[in-house]
Amino acid sequence: MFNRPLIPILLILLVALLFWLRQPAGESMVSRTALVMGTLVEIKAYGEDRAQLEETIDTAFNEMVRLEQLFSSHLPESEISRLSAATGSFAVSRETAVLLELGIEMARLSDGAFDLGLGRLKDLWDIGGENPQIPGEQSLRRALHGAGPAALQLEGLQVRKQAPDLHIDLGGIAKGYIIDRAAELLLQAGVSSAAVNAGGDIRLLGDRQGQDWRIGIQHPRESDATMATLNLRNRAVVTSGDYERFFVRDGIRYHHLFDPQNGRPARGCQSVTVVAADAASADALATAAFVLGPRAGLDLLEQLPDVEGLLVTADGRRLATAGIESALEWH
Amino acid sequence: MTSSAVDPVQLEQVRQRVFLALFIALAVTLNAVEYLLPSPLPWFRFGLANILTVTALYLYGSRAAWTVALSRILIGSLLLGTLFSPGFLLSLSGGLLATLLMTSSFQLLGSRIGPVGVSVLGALGHAGGQLLIAWLLIVQHPSIWLMLPFFLLFSLISGMINGLAADMLLDFLLKHEAFARHKTTREFPSQTSGSDVT
Amino acid sequence: MALGELLQRLTRFDRYLILCLSLLVGVSFLLPFGRQAGARLIVEADNRTVFSAPLDTPRQFAVEGPLGMTRMEVRNGAVRVLHSPCPQKICIGLGEARRAGDLLACVPNRIVVRIEGDVEGAAYDLLSR
Repeated sequence: MFNRPLIPILLILLVALLFWLRQPAGESMVSRTALVMGTLVEIKAYGEDRAQLEETIDTAFNEMVRLEQLFSSHLPESEISRLSAATGSFAVSRETAVLLELGIEMARLSDGAFDLGLGRLKDLWDIGGENPQIPGEQSLRRALHGAGPAALQLEGLQVRKQAPDLHIDLGGIAKGYIIDRAAELLLQAGVSSAAVNAGGDIRLLGDRQGQDWRIGIQHPRESDATMATLNLRNRAVVTSGDYERFFVRDGIRYHHLFDPQNGRPARGCQSVTVVAADAASADALATAAFVLGPRAGLDLLEQLPDVEGLLVTADGRRLATAGIESALEWH
Repeated sequence: MTSSAVDPVQLEQVRQRVFLALFIALAVTLNAVEYLLPSPLPWFRFGLANILTVTALYLYGSRAAWTVALSRILIGSLLLGTLFSPGFLLSLSGGLLATLLMTSSFQLLGSRIGPVGVSVLGALGHAGGQLLIAWLLIVQHPSIWLMLPFFLLFSLISGMINGLAADMLLDFLLKHEAFARHKTTREFPSQTSGSDVT
Repeated sequence: MALGELLQRLTRFDRYLILCLSLLVGVSFLLPFGRQAGARLIVEADNRTVFSAPLDTPRQFAVEGPLGMTRMEVRNGAVRVLHSPCPQKICIGLGEARRAGDLLACVPNRIVVRIEGDVEGAAYDLLSR
């Protein structure tokens, strides 16, 4: 056989080629961005079929837009806006009910640090809006009327507000929920490796070509720097920080993460990053832990199963839950 | 060796086959040992098995070199369980280009090129062939060419060392009567210790 | 083993060959193999790509959105928003984008700037902020 080298070479090449063709042709990555929920959403997905990936991502974006129209408190016709305007019992869609139920659960877990009823407080401060202001004590108390862990009662699809003038704001949870839904759509379409990133709130599906996703965590005081990297797969990562939306007056930073106790920006932390199985919980818990402050906030994250996190205290110290050490690299 | 009524040509053929089989066995062993050794990077292999290909080339000619190279790749990957994997394709394409360069330079240049030159060409061919196939089939990512200079430098050095090893092996073998009686198709071009070769 | 003895094992051609190949390898270190000219910036308005340029050439340009023209500048390998018709000017406050995957966006004017291509030393795939 080996007296004619060309024949075995051709044979081997042919066989190798056949085997090669049986293997997947290699993964390609599709990355698309769109403006949803007033923020830049980027979906990255790995797969074999580009066209199908793009179609799936389109579907996911459409779903996000649809949900945004359900949950936004800025759109007057959204379900949440109508719930805010309602005085009596109000029937919501199943999706809204699921989200409200999760929000109520989060409010209970965090002893009211997470609050769904801060709609009027947020309008009052108008942080990130056109006329941000520091409200007086009186107006703060009025805006907080009816808020708290017991502000909403949910029975099936019927929602009852404790106070008729309570305005719902899903700011601390809806974004997470929406990217979860997008991730679920991707998963249902057979995508096993993807990331949905809505302005820094991230939900990961699977890994990135066999490797962990490397998630940079924004440094709360240096806008061009990261303070840590998390190596993760199949997780959601949400960071809440006082640098996201704020204004400064007389040297004091007024940001968008309010303490429902007094209606003022919480002062314990610079930023909190929560790693959880789903982005909705991570979103709500990041807000809750931020409001609770370093000690109680970290305790909350430690005590919940399948939840980890890191935070930067107001004086710049960095803390992390014990379970995240292996995935965490400080910079 | 006792003289008998065996046809000397036939005897020579049998002898050549036996030695080629030995060379292949040695090449496969070296190949396997190399895989077991820690390597700084997965693709940086020293290619020790090529010593045997070069030796076969200088002792028995191009066809023998092809036999050793191809058998080594096939049996080697069979042993390591990488047969028909992407890694095998890389190894095969590297081996093909390497052997092609080695045999053609040997045939074109004859005694002007020594084992070291042939080995260096082979090592560079091996690196080039692997990268080319990796580029074509596996990762069409430009950063793969970032590795090229390091790859080439490494192969140049390993090629020289392997070539010197092959040259020494040839010296050693040609002192032995089993080879001394055997005249290669070409004059053995080594400039050293030629006196022992008759 | 003396180096001379080893050199003796090389034919004249071998030595020239190795010399030439060494030079070749040396040259290959200098050539920009695979080193891309640099990352590119992509500007999308209303989810359509409207502008693209390399990041290593300084320039200023403007892109039109629903609110008007957003002016941007490429300098020192980074892109930033110079002027925007949006009310908040958050896009200007976002600073610079220079690494692959970095994003700038003017949400009211529906303009997105992202960086594509391989930039060495990207320490993360996604940024949580």
